[in-house]
Amino acid sequence: MEKHAIIGKDIPRTDGRAKATGAAMYTDDFKLPGMLHGKLLRSPLPHARIVHIDVSKARALPGVKCVITGADTPKIKFGNWRLFPATQDEYPLAVDKVRFIGDEVAAVAAIDRDIAEEALELIEVEYEELPAVFDVDAAIAEGAPVIHEQSPGNISIDRKINYGDVDKALAEAYYVREDTFTVHAVSHAYLEPCSSLAQVDLDGRITIWTSTQTPYIVQCLLAATLGMRENDVRVIKPYVGGGFGGKMELRTWEFCAAFMAKKTGRPVKFTLTREEELAYGRRRHPMKIRSKVGFTKDGILVGKDLKILLDGGAYNSMGPTATFLCGNFGAMLYRYPSYRFLGEHVYTNKPPAGAMRGFGAPQSLFAAESQMNLAAEELGIDPIELRIKNAMVTGDRIPGVATISSCGFIESLKEVAKMSGWKSKRRRLKDGRGIGVGCYSFISGGVFNWFNTQYPFSAAEIRAYADGTVHLLTMASDIGQGSDTVLKQILAEELGLKMEDIRITSADTAMTPQADLGSWGSRVTLMAGNSILKAARKIKKQLAGAVSAKFNLNVIFDIKFADGRVFAAGKPDRGMSFGEAVAFVQKANRGEPLVARGSYTPRGKGLVTPAFSFGAQVAEVEVDKETGLVKVKKMWTAHDCGTVLNPMAVEGQLDGSIQMGLGYALSEQFVMDGGKTLNTTFLDYKMPHAPDMPPGESVCIETYEPEGPMGAKEAGEGLVSPTAPAIAEAVWHATGFRCKDLPITPEKILRGTGKL
Amino acid sequence: MPIPRFDYFAPRTVDEAVNLLAQAGPDGRVMAGGTDLLVKIRFRVIHPAAIVGLKKIEGLERISFSRNKGLTIGATALLADVAASSPVRRYYPGVAQAADQTANVQVRNMGTVVGNLCNASPSADNAPTLLALGARVRITGPGGQRSMSLEDFFRGPGMTALEPGEIVTAVTVPLPPPRSATAYLSLSARAKLDCSAVGVGVMLALDDRDRCKDLRIFVGACAPIPVRAGGAEQVLIGEKLTDSTVEQAALEAAKATQPIDDVRASADYRYKMATVLTIRAIMDARKRALRKKN
Amino acid sequence: MKHSITLNVNGDTYNLAVDPWRTLNEVLREDLNLTGTKFGCGSGDCGACTVMLDGRAVSSCLTLAVEADGKEILTVEGLAPSGEKLHPIQEAFIEKGAIQCGFCTPGMEIAALDLLRRNPGPKEDQIREALAGNLCRCTGYAKIVEAVQDAADKMKSNQS
Repeated sequence: MEKHAIIGKDIPRTDGRAKATGAAMYTDDFKLPGMLHGKLLRSPLPHARIVHIDVSKARALPGVKCVITGADTPKIKFGNWRLFPATQDEYPLAVDKVRFIGDEVAAVAAIDRDIAEEALELIEVEYEELPAVFDVDAAIAEGAPVIHEQSPGNISIDRKINYGDVDKALAEAYYVREDTFTVHAVSHAYLEPCSSLAQVDLDGRITIWTSTQTPYIVQCLLAATLGMRENDVRVIKPYVGGGFGGKMELRTWEFCAAFMAKKTGRPVKFTLTREEELAYGRRRHPMKIRSKVGFTKDGILVGKDLKILLDGGAYNSMGPTATFLCGNFGAMLYRYPSYRFLGEHVYTNKPPAGAMRGFGAPQSLFAAESQMNLAAEELGIDPIELRIKNAMVTGDRIPGVATISSCGFIESLKEVAKMSGWKSKRRRLKDGRGIGVGCYSFISGGVFNWFNTQYPFSAAEIRAYADGTVHLLTMASDIGQGSDTVLKQILAEELGLKMEDIRITSADTAMTPQADLGSWGSRVTLMAGNSILKAARKIKKQLAGAVSAKFNLNVIFDIKFADGRVFAAGKPDRGMSFGEAVAFVQKANRGEPLVARGSYTPRGKGLVTPAFSFGAQVAEVEVDKETGLVKVKKMWTAHDCGTVLNPMAVEGQLDGSIQMGLGYALSEQFVMDGGKTLNTTFLDYKMPHAPDMPPGESVCIETYEPEGPMGAKEAGEGLVSPTAPAIAEAVWHATGFRCKDLPITPEKILRGTGKL
Repeated sequence: MPIPRFDYFAPRTVDEAVNLLAQAGPDGRVMAGGTDLLVKIRFRVIHPAAIVGLKKIEGLERISFSRNKGLTIGATALLADVAASSPVRRYYPGVAQAADQTANVQVRNMGTVVGNLCNASPSADNAPTLLALGARVRITGPGGQRSMSLEDFFRGPGMTALEPGEIVTAVTVPLPPPRSATAYLSLSARAKLDCSAVGVGVMLALDDRDRCKDLRIFVGACAPIPVRAGGAEQVLIGEKLTDSTVEQAALEAAKATQPIDDVRASADYRYKMATVLTIRAIMDARKRALRKKN
Repeated sequence: MKHSITLNVNGDTYNLAVDPWRTLNEVLREDLNLTGTKFGCGSGDCGACTVMLDGRAVSSCLTLAVEADGKEILTVEGLAPSGEKLHPIQEAFIEKGAIQCGFCTPGMEIAALDLLRRNPGPKEDQIREALAGNLCRCTGYAKIVEAVQDAADKMKSNQS
């Protein structure tokens, strides 16, 4: 394999210094002259008609500069699925009806936060309460209250996947099992609460600094809901304190900040509280998953029939994508000759579920992987053996959906078995200990254009300078995952430059080329990386021409870019520095700056993604059989993410996934009383602390993904999925109790083992 | 609900504090570390008009010990300082341990043991051990000074025996009996540093034949206040501590509780855990008491 | 009624008039424009607002500004006062990959400093305990723990 100078190295983040010194500015850190502070009034009822709103007392409070309700707005619905406008079901502020506790009803902008909050108390809303539903079964039952008029049965969207003859395959199978799994809602729990600051420029354009993963989506939808043109809105993403899927839509406070900035002529900032985030924020979809699988006597899968009800909460949000993806992930990892999926997205009167790390995979793979473990037990086959028998390999196809262009799954399974001492531990562990396995596959960005963008999925502009630096402009959004660093690495490597030679401007819709769909679905490295490579190659072509002309090179020579120089391969003296080459080209072009653009839009890549990652994880647990407390002793992971561009960054993603996966498996959940979220602090929303984390070991199985930049594909998002099924299996191995209903709480373990 | 706006006073003496509190009436609140109080204000659980901060009162931060008088922990002695104090660690390891297990570093650097008690949360981590050790609270109020046993101090969630205008100035703990040990065990969904779903504190003293000479058991987070498991104590006092006698006592301990379902655990689970933790706490205390020779 | 207070922050003296209900976090971020200290929850559960107050790590969201009157406060901005040479904790956080989104970083670094002042050679479990008041959603804490170990080594060798 080609030797890389920068790719594959532990390059520290280039924003590390700004973050370590506190200089990095997040949205709430901005303060503008004359700035007002915004606050939202939210519905206290899960389902109600708004009869009347009186804001006169709030408006009269000294210091209050603006109070708005849905009636004051253009009343334009929005939603990320622009391709299907019928799915756009949300108003920036409630019009006529509220559909969950926390639905935004009015907004106040005042000279300080305390006054804004006081004004909220003065808004009088008369509601007519309506019957509400809080789970999918009640929502789809006959006679259930209708949450959105256009979906009388409360099913907002369904998705199907179907290939092979499932009924025949299951009828003829040697062994068939059917299980129902339920999975719960969890919070993204990004540390930075959502914040937005909007200002109107002198020429009427809106500039909004906002904590988002998707500047382009916010730009388009904000323009649409304000009745403005896209280019009248400039979205700037400052440093963002994590997103994990929770910041990838237009949100009410973005609209309100912009709308009220327009109305008042003053900058307006909204920052949510942690309680708002936990009580009313987006969350991972709870699902009810019924899965039926069949095997031959030798343990070869013959088919799967999967039906999933997604609890979408009050609005579609990213539910339509989740509905398709959980079906897609149900077909991944193994070769299913026949497969049938029906996913139905159900409205309930709860905070809307949205995209969250893994996006359909943690739920679907908890069911699929738990079921593989159950089947292994009954078939008398080791769970890892059973997986190897059925594992996907490079070149496999999911009919009509995807082709697997690189796959290190079997290698991952073998490696994780070796690392963990699987065989001996599976045979014998001391009492209370258990070991279990779970696997994942994930996407490297989506190919389905639900946002209906008229631009490339990702684009890059590169400006080369005679001083030897280049400036990369991209709308790709670093939300903490480190994309600015990795994209710089890709560019530096391609141009033979050093990291410090690259300048970057990212995620500012007025400055960077149209467009980039944002940071979600693990799309950035592959898509932005590819667009950068395309732009870089255009630059290289011109520079190579300059060197060739200058040194009168035979046309058969390759031109190399390395160590800040451009030169004839094998003849390093026939060349010049990168900056000299740029100057040369610029001279040849009579002063025209050397600029190139590149873009990437996946085409001919099926319905899902250009590339899939794979991996396997083993968990060892110790269960206190009297208290039901589970201590995860160690996690072993082997995963295939194609070429590893930055090992330290990949490890960081893996470590973070384990924290999120561990919380999903054991301790994180929303305690609900009907539509009301009861645990709205980090004291009672129990995400793992530093002392809760198990030690881990991991190995990257390097493959080369032909579609990826320098062979790279997804790393770190999919890894959030295998942890829960691995822990569930380990708990079974330790106690004999099989949990099909996340999270695996001490109480469930005690009840399951007859101790409570 | 109105925005939390209050006046703040930083008296230099206890008497001054008592006067300020008396003037403020029912809208006045005493603040030691503020880690509970400010959260309650922020969440609009309480709406004080005046806060009387105790941190400027000289001497209240003191932790003192003598063999005759036992341990005195002043009202503003920080959890971190109690956890690190050498006499506390030497003579009252359970008290140090409970302080050290309370919340996290930041809270231990702001919060106080006395504040944890006065907040009167049923799950207060410092209560069961101090109750088991027979601690008392020293109180100053408009009517002068008094003291009472900690057992009588708790009246309900967030409620204490304090009369209007009264301030707890210290908690005192007698010297534990010879051949005694304490243990405090708590449980929650997260392994550590969390608000407990169940907590059990015991103080066990052995006689020279290793029988239970004295025993006090308190269960936290399973009733409106930390409850004493007197029935369980009676099962074991004067008896040998065997697996079966301890289990029998622990079943009695659970009977003393009145657990509820809440966001942290179900009533059934709490009831069951009261038994499990009582067994473990007694056995733990027994092991340590046995190490002490006469 | 506003109270006149004096805060000594990162070696600088500020004379301020503050409402008694305002927290140190608000005063640092809004009045002094020291926005390196973050606000993550307001209930002392996340640690993003951690600062040193008279040499101890505290949650600035649960500290009244009036109670910080006359005290020495160290925030993330004061870790490397010259701006040229970073504090060993900051260096270690950058080099070890302990920073992702960075929102927990200022609080983590201050909590790490509090630990290393009390215990210059902490073991792994002691580091984890000391950071238990600081939540992170990105890193799984692994590289943060490594960074604190590395910072401890750096600080020791700086002294010798």
